This record gives sequence, C-alpha cells and structure tokens, in this order.
Amino acid sequence: MWDQYSIGLAVVLVSAIIAFLALLREKDDLHRLLIIDLVEIPSLAVIALLGTDLAEALILPGLVVGIAELLALSQIYLTKEGLNDRRVKRLEVEVITRSHAPAIIALLLVAYGLVLSGFTGGAIAGLGVIFYVMAREKGERFELVEMASGITWAVWILAFFIFMFFPMYWYLALMLAAIAILLKVTAKLSLMGSMWGGRDE
Amino acid sequence: MSNLGGVPYFLVPFGDIVIYFTPFTAALFILALVFTVLAILSRPERQLDIVFGGDAFTAKETPVREMKFRRFMAIACGLATMGAMVTGDIFDFVLFTSLVGITNVGIVGAVKNRHVQEAAFQYGMVALAATMPLFAGAAMVAATTGTLSMLELSAMPTSQVPLMVKALITLGVMGEGMAPFYAAKAEMFRAPGAPYVIMCSLSSLLIFLRVIEVVLTV
Repeated sequence: MWDQYSIGLAVVLVSAIIAFLALLREKDDLHRLLIIDLVEIPSLAVIALLGTDLAEALILPGLVVGIAELLALSQIYLTKEGLNDRRVKRLEVEVITRSHAPAIIALLLVAYGLVLSGFTGGAIAGLGVIFYVMAREKGERFELVEMASGITWAVWILAFFIFMFFPMYWYLALMLAAIAILLKVTAKLSLMGSMWGGRDE
Repeated sequence: MSNLGGVPYFLVPFGDIVIYFTPFTAALFILALVFTVLAILSRPERQLDIVFGGDAFTAKETPVREMKFRRFMAIACGLATMGAMVTGDIFDFVLFTSLVGITNVGIVGAVKNRHVQEAAFQYGMVALAATMPLFAGAAMVAATTGTLSMLELSAMPTSQVPLMVKALITLGVMGEGMAPFYAAKAEMFRAPGAPYVIMCSLSSLLIFLRVIEVVLTV
C-alpha cells in the first residue's frame, strides 16, 4: 500500500500542514507573505509527484500563477505600508563598477543562453542582462525592451498557429517559437532587473 | 454523455482540453459574458458621503487612470470566469479559479484607501494559500485516475476520484472567496466603482456554482 507516491504525498502534506501552522502563529504581514511563498512549494511538489511529462507541463502554469499572485500582494504591501520612497542601492563594489568583468560575464551568460535556446536559454541570457544592468548604472531604454518583448510574443503565438493549422511546416514553427521564447524571457528578466533602481514615477 | 449539467450542445476541442457547453455551463457562461459587457460599457459610480441630518454631501474624486486600470482588471476577471465556466479540464479549471483570485485583488488593489488595501492584502493571502489545496486536488485527480478530462471522468461507471480529493478542490475554491473565507473579502467592497466591484462577488458566486457541478460529475 505504501508505494513511493504515497510516501511522497504524505511527506508533502505534512510539510504543508507545518507551513499552515506557522501561518497561524505568525502575526507580522511581511513574514506571513514569506510563509505563504513556502506554502506554494508543497503545492508544486504535489504536482511534481506525478512524475510524468504532464507534471512538467502543469508545474509551469502553477508556478506562474503563484508568482503573479505573490508579485501583486507584495505591490499591495508596499503601497499599504507606504514603502515606495525607499531606493534600493546598487552594488558598490569597485571590480563591478569599474572593470570589464561584468560585461565579460554577461556576454558569456548571453552566449551560453543562445546555445541552450528556448525557455532555459532565455532565463540564463536574461540573468546575464540583469547582472550587467545591476552592475552598470546606465539610462535604460524601457520602450525598446518592451517592444522587443511584445514582438517576440506575437511571433511565439504565430508559431503556435503554424503548429495548429499548417503542421507540415513544423520545423519553421519550432525555430520561430524557440527564438521568440528565448528573446521574450530575456527581455522579461532584464526588465525585472531594471526595476531594482526604484525609478521615480 | 449525460451528466448533472445536461446533454452538451456542442464541444470545442483544443487538443486534449475540451471546452463544452451544456445547458448549465452555457447559462453560467452567458451570465459572466453579460456582466463583462456591462463592465465594459457602463460608467462607474461616484461615491457620495452624505452628512447625516442635512443636505450637504461630498463626492469622492477617483482619477480616470485608476478607473481604467480597474476596468481592465474587471474585464480580465470576466474572461477568467468565462474560461472557468466552460472548460472541461480539471487543471484548467483550477488555473482559471486562481486567476479569478488574482484579478479580484487587482480590481481593488489600485484604490488609494488604507482599509481597502488592508482587506485586499488579507484576502490575497487567503487566496494564495487556497492555491495549495486547489493544485494539490487537481494533481491528485490525475494521479488516481490518469486523466484530467471531465468528459472521460464522467464517462467512468463509478467515480474514481476519492472523496478527500473532491474536498480539497472545494476547499480551494472556498478560499478564493466563498463563505467562511468571504469575511476577508467583504471589507474590499468599500472601494468605489460599482460595476467593477460587483465583478468580485459575481465571479466567486459563478465559480462556486461551477465547482459543485465539477465535484459531482467527476
């Protein structure tokens, strides 16, 4: 009766119960927000326990919904507590602000991301761009990044339509989707990096 | 197929996710659609504070930018509700339900009122915690039966889904804004802007009606 799935499920549910108990005892709003993030992890773990391709396809939307809700709640927390005027300082390390090292590391990450391609590649290339933006305080051009993100999203959707209606051109659709998601995730992550500056509206 | 919602008028297959319109789901879908159209067309109310015992009153000014954002969120909430009404896939339903939770927070999140924001924050935490039983329930349906399609689940002679799993899904939907967790949400309705705020309660009502069908069918 106690096969691997049942044992895994029991462990995950017990950890979820522990997280919920912590949530009951904690009174500070910020700490409760952090514990809620902990509660999200068992819910992803239950999906992961399926251990099939389906689980992989289900985790991504689950994760995205969780992150979206967490971002929305932290934004409300900031306005609620009036914390909008606090500026986040950038990295004040001489090697990072003066030398060529950040550019070289960022270039390596972006190149490696291009080799990987797809979602993982986009995440790694985006990490490189974030690192560069965090290291060097330059005037960022948000419109350009947003436009690139929007166009690549459209290309991604186009690739899906090719898959659905013209399956014989699947290779073209695959390449379009791979390139588009790479650029899209890169653009998204680099935007996230730029938000660190706490721009004045 | 014949189930609680009646015989489907027609099916819309998107790969393995099948959207179906039975008399029940179609009625809920039309209700959500009508309210979304109302939210698009109608002009928002302006809240008035009337001084008791006199003729004096003060009108609360709400910036147009804030109203535009809230209308956008109300439309997004309507779309998510419509999706949850007609989808034939358990995980899809769960995703749409949590999306309704996010957009409900979004509808009142832009209001510059400390009470409303406090209530929205507390409700958002309940909704976020409720995604745990929701996703866990949906994943356990797939683990016990091997499918997420409501059409296949309802075709089985006896229900293969354990009662515990159904209870988890219902608990998750309750967390997204039904009693007893509704208490966290009630304070949010202090926010001005009638058609948009009503979308919050309407969406939870429709989701709850639908989850009854889902739980009894699978």
